[in-house]
Amino acid sequence: MIVCLAVVGHQNNPLYIQSFTEADDALKLHHIVHCSLDVVDERVNNPKKSGPTLNETFLGLLYPTENYKVYGYLTNTKVKFILVTTDLDVRDTDVRNFYRRFHAAYVDAVSNPFHVPGKKITSKSFAERVSTIVKSFGLSSSS
Amino acid sequence: MIGVGKIKQYSNVLDKPLGKGKQEVSLSAFAFLFSELVQYNQTQVDNIAELERRLEDAGYAVGARVLELLCHREKGNRRETRLLGILSFIHSTVWKVLFGKVADSLEKGTEHEDEYMISEKELLVNRFISIPKDMGAFNCGAFVAGVVRGVLDNAGFPAVVTAHFVPVDGQQRPRTTILIKFAEEVLQREARLG
Repeated sequence: MIVCLAVVGHQNNPLYIQSFTEADDALKLHHIVHCSLDVVDERVNNPKKSGPTLNETFLGLLYPTENYKVYGYLTNTKVKFILVTTDLDVRDTDVRNFYRRFHAAYVDAVSNPFHVPGKKITSKSFAERVSTIVKSFGLSSSS
Repeated sequence: MIGVGKIKQYSNVLDKPLGKGKQEVSLSAFAFLFSELVQYNQTQVDNIAELERRLEDAGYAVGARVLELLCHREKGNRRETRLLGILSFIHSTVWKVLFGKVADSLEKGTEHEDEYMISEKELLVNRFISIPKDMGAFNCGAFVAGVVRGVLDNAGFPAVVTAHFVPVDGQQRPRTTILIKFAEEVLQREARLG
């Protein structure tokens, strides 16, 4: 189950943070997202120098904490999508699919002429689309 | 995609094919819209440099969004980290999506290491525009220069981009060149990556 989703801009400024569970403290989730940004930077600046993975957008599992797993995805404009989930047996392809749909929703939100790049995403339809995607992620991976 | 809209007349409306819909925008619609943009900005500014800057800023916003859209749509999972990579991406993919064709040529500047030029026989945005003599060297291609700058800036390659007219012998209308001058850090990073 996804507990938290964050979109972080290229100067590490938060553009969209949404938590999907009332059980856990939202602040703790924000801290986890914040720590994962360091891992992303480290991965980007010290590439493993193995050909095809150099320019991949999907960064994979960043680091596992006590009961969460944190996945990362980096777009071409250095915007990062951080996903925090409690599922223990999440398949790689599921996460990639999720990120693909999330990236599509993000591109649509940014194409809005009233969206100022660098400011928070305030579009309600983006929030609705994201919650739909999150719900369908839970269903597909638990089956 | 901007192109010339062609309409085929069918005698019976039921015979019209159920198409996916045209992926193109009519050229005249864009030309009118762009001319309004230039006219609107002209009433708001006092001098040419300001007008050029405003057109560039308008293009910058377009460039930022085009980059996000194209990287998601066309490039799938890859990010551009090399200079030549991002330049050929602009020269072919971005130009194809915006103007319906790839740019005419991409050259490296001879005098300076950090200069590159994309040139076009006739920029689509300038097709229906003629600059009055008293505006000197102003080029409405500043809008396209802004688009290129938006793409480069957001991809992590800060640069100064300008549009110039280059007269060509044997041709009435001069060729348009987009001059891209990269910032120092881009060249250093490129040298480091080998």
